Amino acid sequence: MPDRKELERWLLSEETGQDDAAEAEFAHLFTALPKVEPGAEFVQRTVSEVWRMRARRRRILALGWVATIILVVAGAVTAYVASPFLATEVIKTIAFAGGRSVPWLVAYTTVAMDWWWTLARVGGAVASALMTPARVVAVLGVELVGILAFFALQRIAGAERLGDAHV
Amino acid sequence: MPPSDAELAKEALAGSEEASRELVARYAAPAINFVFRLVHDRALAEDLAQEGFLRVFQRLKTYDAERKFSSWFFQVLRNVAIDYLRVHRLQTSSLDELTEAGFQAPEADGTSSSPERLAEQEGLARAMDGALGRIRPEYREVVVLRYQEGLTHPEIAEILGLPSGTVKTYLHRARKELATLLKPFA
Repeated sequence: MPDRKELERWLLSEETGQDDAAEAEFAHLFTALPKVEPGAEFVQRTVSEVWRMRARRRRILALGWVATIILVVAGAVTAYVASPFLATEVIKTIAFAGGRSVPWLVAYTTVAMDWWWTLARVGGAVASALMTPARVVAVLGVELVGILAFFALQRIAGAERLGDAHV
Repeated sequence: MPPSDAELAKEALAGSEEASRELVARYAAPAINFVFRLVHDRALAEDLAQEGFLRVFQRLKTYDAERKFSSWFFQVLRNVAIDYLRVHRLQTSSLDELTEAGFQAPEADGTSSSPERLAEQEGLARAMDGALGRIRPEYREVVVLRYQEGLTHPEIAEILGLPSGTVKTYLHRARKELATLLKPFA
């Protein structure tokens, strides 16, 4: 248990700036604080829990292997047995879908690109009319201040979460 | 000669339940005490210490036997405690509350009888605990690692990922803050 006289000695050393003595006296005082003893069942409970966790992980790993092997075997068997039929069907489906979707895709892409180029031209014209060097500097300045404010806010929020009231 | 922590860790990794048990038994009290000083709740400290052990055994493969086991262990345990504290705010009791709850600054006549002296010491221990709960979390960590677990400055620096000089500064400032908080109890 910490003693009042030890506390007084430490505080005196701190006040008089005797750093080494203060360190030693504080260490002595802190060591005297009552320790928390683990409960009687703590070690057994923890080891059991560790073992349960390991068994669970081993089971999951084993199940993963079994599932992988089953999938690989099933895939190989399916491919071997049904490949002639499947190959024909797959090629037919791809050709059918491709024949119908490619013209649509080309048409939509062309329209989208037209819009894109129009917008780019308008945007370019507006920007060149509005953006003088002074305005560019002002916009960059505002963005920089915004980024700094966001960073500071994040730091404050982080410190708040840790319960640090000194920041 | 008893096996070192690193040897026990290696055996535990190989699947020895006995080595795992020995490792848990060696670090149970330091782990619970370390977490207790951070969260000030005994039951919670046991739960978090157990979670810490689970994480330690889960990551035992990543332990480098060249490093001191205790440093690595406390690093993992600290992360568990910090994860908890990030989500749950730490409840701290102010020293005024402690005084109102019954602890008074002791009489200076030195003639106290034994039960009174014991009560005085218990009160002082509570006041120290309360003061520890009021300083910055990073200061609290270095104080506990240094003065309770007896780790060196470089070991603490490794655990907390700080330069050794910063650890020394934190310790110094922590002591000064604790001195200010505990002055009324002298």
